[in-house]
Amino acid sequence: MMNQNLETLLEIQDLKAQRRDLAEAGEREVQEQVFGLSVDDAVRELDTKITEMEESLAPQIRARYKRVSARLPRVVAPVINGTCYGCFVAVPTASASDSERNAEIRSCENCGRFLYYVD
Amino acid sequence: MELREFLAEDAIQLDLKGESKDEILKELIGLLGVDEKSQGILFKMLKRRENLGSTGIGRGIAIPHCRSLVVNRLRLAFGRKKGGVDYKAIDDQTVNYFFLIVAPPLEVSNQYLPVLGRIAQFAKEADVPERLSALETPRAFLALLEEKGV
Repeated sequence: MMNQNLETLLEIQDLKAQRRDLAEAGEREVQEQVFGLSVDDAVRELDTKITEMEESLAPQIRARYKRVSARLPRVVAPVINGTCYGCFVAVPTASASDSERNAEIRSCENCGRFLYYVD
Repeated sequence: MELREFLAEDAIQLDLKGESKDEILKELIGLLGVDEKSQGILFKMLKRRENLGSTGIGRGIAIPHCRSLVVNRLRLAFGRKKGGVDYKAIDDQTVNYFFLIVAPPLEVSNQYLPVLGRIAQFAKEADVPERLSALETPRAFLALLEEKGV
């Protein structure tokens, strides 16, 4: 089972990545010309959704999220082969089994990002 | 860069079973071989993109796409649904051919947009829908990509 707050944090970050892409000229052109997307409307819709999801985080997690996001653009980092891909420092091996590593919120001791263990 | 670099034969399904947009998206995600939880997150992200506007670009082709942390490299899948499904495509026609693109939020070589562009370019070629319809094997699909130079 994945921690619900971690799942929300992941979604927020993925939505922010989507929003960031849409703001770039190349992506805007493709989205408008190939998909007929109204990019400005899409960005507004994403902003609303991101705010809504941020507000749905548990208060303690939200406070940590705000602290981390004030200094780092990405608040969740994948852990691949035992390395935090936010700061590229090794993280202690999770004691839980593979299927439960994301069941609780863990943070990188070096950079403070929330950690998501990728298989 | 060629599309087949990102596409394994087992990520090509020429006989999708889904009867709705959601079922097709889930089936396509299933081709990527990621775990169940990651599949759920990818489905949510793809749906969010579809809710902004359909990725059905017309002529029976759709390119659902998203970025997500649950993958650590760019992944592609291709699916064909005989008879097509209602996908709210730009031309209001049913969609038969689906190119799924999933990429991590950050990529060292930033291949996401070029891959999206290449698929869009491929999809615009006049004979592509007919050629996709005639495919008999996943290998033939890879050969078609190679022939078209994408």
